[in-house]
Amino acid sequence: MKKFLTIIGIAAVSLAYAQGGTLIINNYTPYEYRGDIIANNSSGCYPIVGNTNKIIVPADSNTGNGQQLQYDNYRDQYTSSLYPNLNWTVSTSATTTNIRPWNHPAVMPGGTISNFTKWSATKFDMFDTATGSYVTGFNANLSITSCNSSTPTPSYNTPNGLNSAEMFVIGSITYIQLY
Amino acid sequence: MKRYFLLTAITLLGLISCNNEGTAVNTVASMKTPQMENFDKAFKSLGEPQNRPTEEERKRNTSELSDRRKALLVPASKELILSTGITESELMRKTGGDMSQIIVWATQIYMKKTDEIRKNIKTEN
Repeated sequence: MKKFLTIIGIAAVSLAYAQGGTLIINNYTPYEYRGDIIANNSSGCYPIVGNTNKIIVPADSNTGNGQQLQYDNYRDQYTSSLYPNLNWTVSTSATTTNIRPWNHPAVMPGGTISNFTKWSATKFDMFDTATGSYVTGFNANLSITSCNSSTPTPSYNTPNGLNSAEMFVIGSITYIQLY
Repeated sequence: MKRYFLLTAITLLGLISCNNEGTAVNTVASMKTPQMENFDKAFKSLGEPQNRPTEEERKRNTSELSDRRKALLVPASKELILSTGITESELMRKTGGDMSQIIVWATQIYMKKTDEIRKNIKTEN
């Protein structure tokens, strides 16, 4: 019985921590990703969590060279990620929005915000540091869950067909990939 | 003539050794195992035209990567898991053959190995 309870306990804890899930951004392009990442409640919209300042992932930064953006949760990303995000913008309703620092109790792993949100969207522009300008046609809003009954748009191809971007989930990991 | 060849050979050797000097700078990318390399290639290959999501896959009502595209990641994932000494039967027992579980497990191994490489580079420098 004790063993059974232990197993249930461990399963419950791992489930709780798995809720938010890990986010990985793999940028395989020669351009810089400049964008926003959004997590929300998969049933209904709120709470919604997003970065407060633009997230920048340099050109050719991916798991291949260990330079990927990897956020395991809202808190630990600040100390463990190559691209720490200082503040999260947290909306708990259409009228209530707060700025929460990475170590604020509201965004702790296992807390309500963490447990009820999952990575769901990104809005980005690709920037060419060589020319100092944004790459024409390589910007998109990607989403994998619908909020307000909007249709998800999980992938995007540039009009010239040279680049593409997509967002998908494998188990507990959410990926944003730029090719 | 013989002497000329010898000279060329020595010059070439010199060139090669100088060349190696440059590549001796260790990076995470250069110190990956072949299995890690293949795992990486598999992920990057999802962006190749024939592997991109089809119109049907885009319209599915799920955020999970489609089975067709997961299957592109499974061989390299298995290879990476087996390279750590885990047996095929252990792999099947732990994952039940579930593609997501195999890929996520391989990803965790990959991340751990990357961290180890990073630590080694730090101690070497």
